[in-house]
Amino acid sequence: MMSMDTDSPNSTTSSGSAQDTAQPVVRPVSYEPNRRGNEATYEVIEAIRRGETPAPTVHPEVDPSNAIINIEDFNLWYSETQAIHSVSMNISRGAVTALIGPSGCGKSTLLRSINRMNDLVEGVRVEGLIGLNGSPIYAPSVDVISLRKRLGMVFQKPNPFPMSIFENVVYPLRIDGERRKSVLEEACEKSLRAAAIWDEVKDRLKRSALGLSGGQQQRLCIARAIVADPEVLLLDEPCSALDPVATLKIEELISEISERYTVLIVTHNMQQAARVSDYTAFMYLGRLVEYGPTAKLFQTPALIETEHYVSGRFG
Amino acid sequence: MSDNKVTTSQRQTLPSAIGEPMVWLTGGSLVLCLLMIILLLGMVVYNGSVSFWPRPIERVTLESGEVFLGLAMDQDVHAETLATRTLYRVGNRDIGQESFRWVDDQDIVESEYPSNAMLLEREAWGVWLGIPESIFTIDDEGNEVQIATGSDQVFEQFNKLHRDARDAGKAISKLKDQDLGKINREIESLRLEVQQSEIESHRSGDSLFRFNWGTWGFSGVLVAICVGFFIRVRHLGTEIGSIHARKGKLTRFSLIVSAFMLLGAMWIASPWGDKALDEQQLQELREQVVIREAELLSEYELKLGQIRAMEETNDRLRIVIREPTTGEFAPTSQTLSDEPLHMQQIVRAVESNQLSTADRVGVYLSRWWEYLSANPREANTEGGVFPVIVGTILLTLLLTIFVTPMGVIAALYLREYAKQGFVTSMIRIAVNNLAGVPSIVYGVFGLGFFCYTVGQYVDTGPKVSDRVNPGTWWMMYIFIGLVIVIGYAVNLWGKPDPGKLPSQFNLRMKRATWIVWFSVLVLGVLLITKTPYFHGLFEARAEDGTPTFGARGMLWASLTLALLTLPVVIVATEEAIAAVPNSMREGSYGCGASKWQTMRRIVLPGALPGILTGGILAMARGAGEVAPLMLVGAVKLNQDLPISTEAPFIHADRSFMHLGFHIYDLGFQSPDSQAARPLVWTTTLLFLAVVFALNFSAIMIRSRVRARMAGQTI
Repeated sequence: MMSMDTDSPNSTTSSGSAQDTAQPVVRPVSYEPNRRGNEATYEVIEAIRRGETPAPTVHPEVDPSNAIINIEDFNLWYSETQAIHSVSMNISRGAVTALIGPSGCGKSTLLRSINRMNDLVEGVRVEGLIGLNGSPIYAPSVDVISLRKRLGMVFQKPNPFPMSIFENVVYPLRIDGERRKSVLEEACEKSLRAAAIWDEVKDRLKRSALGLSGGQQQRLCIARAIVADPEVLLLDEPCSALDPVATLKIEELISEISERYTVLIVTHNMQQAARVSDYTAFMYLGRLVEYGPTAKLFQTPALIETEHYVSGRFG
Repeated sequence: MSDNKVTTSQRQTLPSAIGEPMVWLTGGSLVLCLLMIILLLGMVVYNGSVSFWPRPIERVTLESGEVFLGLAMDQDVHAETLATRTLYRVGNRDIGQESFRWVDDQDIVESEYPSNAMLLEREAWGVWLGIPESIFTIDDEGNEVQIATGSDQVFEQFNKLHRDARDAGKAISKLKDQDLGKINREIESLRLEVQQSEIESHRSGDSLFRFNWGTWGFSGVLVAICVGFFIRVRHLGTEIGSIHARKGKLTRFSLIVSAFMLLGAMWIASPWGDKALDEQQLQELREQVVIREAELLSEYELKLGQIRAMEETNDRLRIVIREPTTGEFAPTSQTLSDEPLHMQQIVRAVESNQLSTADRVGVYLSRWWEYLSANPREANTEGGVFPVIVGTILLTLLLTIFVTPMGVIAALYLREYAKQGFVTSMIRIAVNNLAGVPSIVYGVFGLGFFCYTVGQYVDTGPKVSDRVNPGTWWMMYIFIGLVIVIGYAVNLWGKPDPGKLPSQFNLRMKRATWIVWFSVLVLGVLLITKTPYFHGLFEARAEDGTPTFGARGMLWASLTLALLTLPVVIVATEEAIAAVPNSMREGSYGCGASKWQTMRRIVLPGALPGILTGGILAMARGAGEVAPLMLVGAVKLNQDLPISTEAPFIHADRSFMHLGFHIYDLGFQSPDSQAARPLVWTTTLLFLAVVFALNFSAIMIRSRVRARMAGQTI
């Protein structure tokens, strides 16, 4: 079953180091010299560690008028522990935005706040505002079911349902009561093609999805997430459970579908963020540290912390 | 550090590490268990399968000069004198013999196997052993016409004559059952129809309880207004702010509740629900019925005459079979001891001493077939167990059908909706304890609650003393509607705003929810048990003193067993639901599925094999229960099957026969327990086979489901 991925020529992507960046959060900061040769001082990081919430550095290229999701002064608590501290950011429409940061920095929590998956966790409390296309998603009149239908989500581990490939893809349509076979088949093919897996599975649509390899399963999950034409696609570390070849395929796929969808991706893998995203937000301990165009953030970041984090010298 | 170091050679080897003693202990106890099980199965299978094997007929001459025919059944040795004695089955009960006798072997002068001895299995009075003498028929003048004389001729002629006589006999009893039975049932239903009309007409003031067309129309308008408002306010509560959202939901909900309550009221007190007839209409009905009854009765007489004539012809064929001790022949009946047996009274004749092995197998199989397909005779000690098998299988299937949905729904709530905590663990403990309640307790409950309370309610409605007057009842009806709306409101305000922790007010409301829903439940029960509008579904029969559902029966027995096996299903389902990975649920929620959709499409299919396992366990447990059945529905004899080709096909009100109870009945309640003993084994074997077959088919279904789940074939 894995043959589909492993047979292809052994590409030498460096994305295999994705897991290596998952380091413990708090460890002694090694003050390495910055690129000008001076000893670096992590002022912002130090402030955050003291419990302060310094204002994030947002590059002017981020255009608030083009935002599909606007997050304003958003805080989130798990019971007594605050996981997100006053985050404000605008996710640009039609672009790929990557959330990076060391483990436990709240990037997954932020992502899951956007489709209110955190509602399922006991004792979660939020303050502030998240708006999707201008309307607040935490308003009491919002129907969380229809909200989630406007957002597609792909999880860390591939989670195809124990049914046939076809039924997996059309699941979001089925729960909307769609029964017409022609409509379902058309939508299935369209989104499987969009997820670049059509050629691999077109002959076994009626077989169980659990027989696919990990990478195929994840692409199937992406197909499932886009079949109902969501406004935003939320990807929660989609490649962290995959091997390098499968990761590469998913990355190519993300670049392709970003032409049609707004994508928000959480990743541990710096190279991945650099390759697939248009904008990158660096988070640390629940605060937004620096947010701007990916090229700028990776090459000429405003903060020394960002520079060291993206080059793997700290994190 | 190096001081503490112990080299390998210095360490002791414990005795328990040498030669693995536990292998012997554990392996030994496993072997012991297996031996016991094999012994049990072996005994049941051996004893159960030998009982139908034809034994040779022995002609025994005693010292006293007495001669008898018998089948040697058993032998034993006296502990001190070492004298042996033999148990003979001698049959011939109708001439006053004990059907079994012990004979000391030293008293036997001669013992031989006469080739012309014959064993008769008869419709009544058990087996007859004798030497055939002749077959004759009686002509129209009443003279005997010999057809065969002497054993050899009798043997030659017997098979064909017997088959014809039996076929004719079967045709006659079929006619009796079907044609006469149908006429009888029709007369009975006519009588009940008149009685029902009389009861309904004499019920004082019932028409006052009914809505007239005017009120009904008014209610209809109200329903329409409710529905109209509901459509208008669909978008209510979409403004920002929790109070607006909640008000909107509450308004919509109360409109729905009002519409349903009004529809319910229209239905309960509908003008067409009043079936009262005036005296003249009643008289007309009675006259019609009398005419129809007369027609049916004449038809009955006609049919009966035909049947009588057929019987008379068939009864002319007689067989004379003498028994050596007294020289008497097998009589038609005890009162007609001078008339030889009718040919058609013989179920099967076996010339035991002439049989080849193939013939013996034939007799053996034909006895098995009779056992599986015929009705019991002679206080269950002869004939078959067909109604018993049907009763057992139907009971088991019904109980599985009842218990599985109940248990699955309960487990779904416990696992998926309820907040895990103290209360849920208490409920789990209670459910597990239910599994340990002695089954007879469930029997007592079933009899007291299902048969006598619920059953009587179904038959005749609430007792007269329990009925409240219509005014009070309608007040209660409106009140329950109000409480439901209040309950919904309390529930609504008991939930925190999205993204907020529950406030003190929310928590208080949440606690109040339970109280309100509980009072809805109590009110609902009161509403049902105190209604003046329900007079039962089988009032006329209950008036006759023959309750329909108000007595022991299949429905109540299967419900009692369903209750008994409920814990098994709940526990198994809960485990299966808990085993569905959370990532599946998250994935489903992420696609925008609601909680119920996630449960129906992801959780339940994933848990299906486990749920089926629960159903299988429940079935296995329920099929083997006997004690509660003795109280709630299993009877010694009821040949009316609980399932038939006539509407309503499953007669859940009927009592039934059950293999477990049948074994008990054969072994301990039988007038001739010696004769019944082999059947006890056979019935036990059959019971095992039936339970095994039921379980096996359920397991086959489960493995097919598993294969589907695994995606082999969809």
